Amino acid sequence: MWEQIRSNKIRSALLITGMGVLLLVLGYVIGLYFFESAIGGMIIALIIWGIMYLLAYFQGESILLAVSGAKKITRDDNPRLYNIIEEMKIASGLEKMPDIYIVDDPAPNAFATGRSPSRASVAVTSGLLQRLNRDELEGVIGHEVSHIKNRDVLLMSLAGIILGTIVILSWYATRVMFFSSMSGGSRRDSKSGGGGGGQIIILVVGIVLMILAPIAAQLLYFAISRKREYLADASSALYTRYPEGLASALEKIAASTDQLKKVNQATAPMYTVNPFREKGRAASDLTSTHPPISQRIRILRAMSGASPADYEEAYRKVKGGSGIVPASALTGAGAVVLRSASAEKQPEPDDVERTRETSNMLWRMGKYRTVDCKCGAKIKVPPSIKESAIKCPRCGRILDI
Amino acid sequence: MICPVCNQDMIVMEYRQIELDYCIKCSGIWFDKGELELLLKTANLGTTGLPTLDGAAKETRSHGRRKCPICAKKMAEVPLGEPAINIDICRRGDGIWFDGGELQLLLKQFVPGPKANQEAIQQITAFLGETFTGEKQDSA
Repeated sequence: MWEQIRSNKIRSALLITGMGVLLLVLGYVIGLYFFESAIGGMIIALIIWGIMYLLAYFQGESILLAVSGAKKITRDDNPRLYNIIEEMKIASGLEKMPDIYIVDDPAPNAFATGRSPSRASVAVTSGLLQRLNRDELEGVIGHEVSHIKNRDVLLMSLAGIILGTIVILSWYATRVMFFSSMSGGSRRDSKSGGGGGGQIIILVVGIVLMILAPIAAQLLYFAISRKREYLADASSALYTRYPEGLASALEKIAASTDQLKKVNQATAPMYTVNPFREKGRAASDLTSTHPPISQRIRILRAMSGASPADYEEAYRKVKGGSGIVPASALTGAGAVVLRSASAEKQPEPDDVERTRETSNMLWRMGKYRTVDCKCGAKIKVPPSIKESAIKCPRCGRILDI
Repeated sequence: MICPVCNQDMIVMEYRQIELDYCIKCSGIWFDKGELELLLKTANLGTTGLPTLDGAAKETRSHGRRKCPICAKKMAEVPLGEPAINIDICRRGDGIWFDGGELQLLLKQFVPGPKANQEAIQQITAFLGETFTGEKQDSA
């Protein structure tokens, strides 16, 4: 997969450069208009970008995890999840075990974040743990781990920050322009008596650019993120040798009607499946951060092996046209045979058991105390209730806690 | 989970692997959507019964006094049984709320109607009856 990563890098570098150029042009126009100095504007745009980038590089991971409401867990909190992530870490050849986070939300989804393969995190929602069986969870984790392995996480945050800077600059610039023109624009008149025609052209170009720049940047951003979703699917199939796991996980995620609570435009592209899904409306291909789920499922199900070449073949079959996997990755991996569904030594926990396993983990993390009553009920008491004894709501026994 | 009546933390009660939120102050019971789905799934009803409840909540015009502890929007008061007891159901389908004592009243007089879509409600009340009174409800 090394070649694939390299070709990703070149392509991504081009897209990022494109966005960077867009940012500089925007700075140029803003500088020309507000400070009569194009260079000054560019420098200001660069400084803002630099500050945001440094902030994101050193704090981005924790900021993203915090706004998503994710909580860090250890091996003991959820051995099943830890075990799967460890397996995928080994399969992908990642050098360090990523940190594991849980988002307490019934909507099934997952994301990866971090600055490098040796410093990254995987976050999954409690809804995902409740609904997916081992094979499906492996598929989703394989997808997330490959985002880390392919260095998508850093790139996406980099691209996201340029996008954010462009959006913020344009927003303020258009507002300031609008209000200063309403108040007569006397500042401008007093300085340049003669060059009125040139001013108007700059003004028009400036306004058009400020409206178009955020849209163009967004399209570039989407182009980067969508291609990466396909590649992460291909990698997940390679790591698990069982594309059906991810396909069926995607199906379950798509069928869920729950909406993620703590999500916004900036964090949306991080997730396995786009969390903004409006019922009854297919997102248009151009503006969607993720490829349509149905298409991803069809590609995964059309695979005859688990190698990137098999994904490429399936991709061409389903989507037609040129492929998605870089040519160098196709020959490198060789043939990888599909495995069958995993037969576990101990029986697979069913929906109810998985839900209890997950909710009990959340109660433990929330410092709830648990008491078993003789009548068969289990009582879980939140830390805010200080009483030392509680009456069982089922049988009326007084229980010490 | 915060009790929509008393505004304080509720305790969680697990019985037959289904969790309910119970307020020790007012004896109110919150039945969460995810747990409802699990209950109906174990009863082999699938989740077909839930849209019925959601639909009933959406049809009901009257706003209840209670706010859903999940989405904080006012729940709908849906009359169940005869004479009607108003149960609070979240319009978004986040779950069902029974005021303290409401469930006991409902269990005493609730005779499921002939409609096929009552199956889910029947299953839910039977489970709650068993959970809180220890008696097996005759679900026929």
